[in-house]
Amino acid sequence: MDALLSNLALGLTVALSWNGLFYCFLGVFLGTLVGVLPGIGIMATLAMLMPITFHLEPTLALIMLSGIYYGASYGGSTASILMNLPGTATSAVTGLDGYPMAQQGRAGQALFMTAIASFVGSLFGVILLAGFSVPLSRVALRFGPHEYVALMLLGLIAASVIGSGRSLRSLISVSLGLALGLIGLDLNSGVPRFTFGQTVLFDGLPLVAVAIGLFGLPEIIASSGSKTVPRVQEGKIRLRDMLPTREDWKRSAMPMVRGSGIGGFFGALPGTGGLVATFVSYAVERRVSKHPEEFGKGAIEGVAAPEAANNSAVQSAFIPTLSLGIPGDPVMAIMLGVMMVHGIIPGPTVIQDRPDLFWGLIVSFIIGNLMLLVLNLPLVGMWVKILKIPYNLLFPVIVAFTCIGIYSVNYQIVDIFVLLGFGFLGLGMRALKFEVAPLLLGFVLGPMIEEYFRRALIVSRGDIGSFFDRPIAGTILAITFAILVWAIGSKLFAAFRARGRREVQTDG
Amino acid sequence: MRFVLNRLEDISAALVTAGVGLFVILEAGSYRMGSLTSMGPGYFPTILGWTMIVLAALMLVAMRPSESLRLPGGHQFRGMLCIAAAFGSFALTIERFGMLPSITLAVFLASLANDRTKPWVGLLLGLGTALVCALIFRVGLGLQIEVF
Repeated sequence: MDALLSNLALGLTVALSWNGLFYCFLGVFLGTLVGVLPGIGIMATLAMLMPITFHLEPTLALIMLSGIYYGASYGGSTASILMNLPGTATSAVTGLDGYPMAQQGRAGQALFMTAIASFVGSLFGVILLAGFSVPLSRVALRFGPHEYVALMLLGLIAASVIGSGRSLRSLISVSLGLALGLIGLDLNSGVPRFTFGQTVLFDGLPLVAVAIGLFGLPEIIASSGSKTVPRVQEGKIRLRDMLPTREDWKRSAMPMVRGSGIGGFFGALPGTGGLVATFVSYAVERRVSKHPEEFGKGAIEGVAAPEAANNSAVQSAFIPTLSLGIPGDPVMAIMLGVMMVHGIIPGPTVIQDRPDLFWGLIVSFIIGNLMLLVLNLPLVGMWVKILKIPYNLLFPVIVAFTCIGIYSVNYQIVDIFVLLGFGFLGLGMRALKFEVAPLLLGFVLGPMIEEYFRRALIVSRGDIGSFFDRPIAGTILAITFAILVWAIGSKLFAAFRARGRREVQTDG
Repeated sequence: MRFVLNRLEDISAALVTAGVGLFVILEAGSYRMGSLTSMGPGYFPTILGWTMIVLAALMLVAMRPSESLRLPGGHQFRGMLCIAAAFGSFALTIERFGMLPSITLAVFLASLANDRTKPWVGLLLGLGTALVCALIFRVGLGLQIEVF
């Protein structure tokens, strides 16, 4: 208990410093700002704003970057409630009931409840993060390279297979990411690989340019030609008119609690995260509700629960990232990438060696969420005005900021061309129905997996079986293989059954 | 033939994957392989390349007919061209001419992606953005990018 208090005190000194407060605010403000804009998802937001953080010291950079992340997940629901134009898949669930509420003139209540539910969920997630990370990191300190390889494989495979309908394509996407991660000098031998004599490639491909290219560029291009004028279901959005009724509160309380729990659980698992959590919590609420027929027509539970789940998952996703150094989703992969750019090797030692970073981050999460409550309740009108900016004037400005952002990371023109290349790779992959998120995860984790894999086999003198002799690594690998077999097996099975049916039809 | 056309999406995806895998294996062949006990730089890429080929094969086995390949439509194509031109122009002009001309040009080219934006509006928007960028990044944050 004493340790916890002194840790929190340390965190307070970091997060309550002028710099800490300023960058926390800047993060949540920018995150909400870009998150509010329809058509720009969290990944694109994060990727585009990431370059700003590269000039800061690591703790401040992470405070700001995380602020952008959870700020964007607050802001994402605004557009889906007011315009039925969700910026992300997770906020699409909020729109299911949020938009009908707005159409009934209850936009204010929906926005209010969203902010409250997000806050409750986030707080729950932060408590989980503070409670579980330290014990988990203590266990992880005893992990050897075998365990790390197993955990990373689990993360990669779970992230690509679970929740995507096209597991084979996602696995291919991961391996493409791993292959792209090979580019650069080999860590052990110093041999340049896949560089084709280009010295610029010796450090590997620049993470920022890759991420923005994959996520930002296709979104900018897709919406650049948009001709629709934004139409906002405004109703009354003054704070006084936003207050939910007593009935609303009563109906939202339990869904928020359940949503937080579901979100906290799925957020911490590798590969599932916010998306699965929001869907599950929405489904759960519809099942336990006394009036399931209202869902989809403006039930306030359908807004409160997924929002709480989403934000709870956003915070608890930091658990594996900060305590094990293993990102569960692409957003966390970006966080990890930023830590590595700043020379911090993510993993259990970070909590021990840099308590100021870890606890500063945790306290800043709480402060940031309080700021977001202010930004999203009294100031919600400001965001609604931003929604009305015509998109055709907005996206060229986004292009300009992206250009400067990428260029200012390394002052290398090549990075802009890397961005363009990955932009078109992203477009091509989307055309062939590949997801790009697993690629980024593979790209970030690839070099680490190879490193640990080689170290594991040196330690065990080239014995592949050693992975299964160790109980923890063996168990994790067994789970990983089970997921893999299930994913590929079900695809093959479905294909054969479909083929069989067609043959019967052509015969008859 | 219709069998192939119906499954063009899956087949092209599998072929591209196998191609990349093959390329990785061939390129990795020029690095030292090493042994399991002490892996050289070529070991991991080779495993990866074979994994991709296996995945491509599995995809061919599991392929299913899909609606025809969706090619990008007209305005999508225009967007791609203009945005690519915007980024390209920034890359080519930033070091020679500095932020003001470079950003103006990039924003102008990007604004052309939407045919609702009139060229003079795009040009004004570009000038305004360039000024704001110069103020924020050069004057405010002190980045090492020349204004002009």
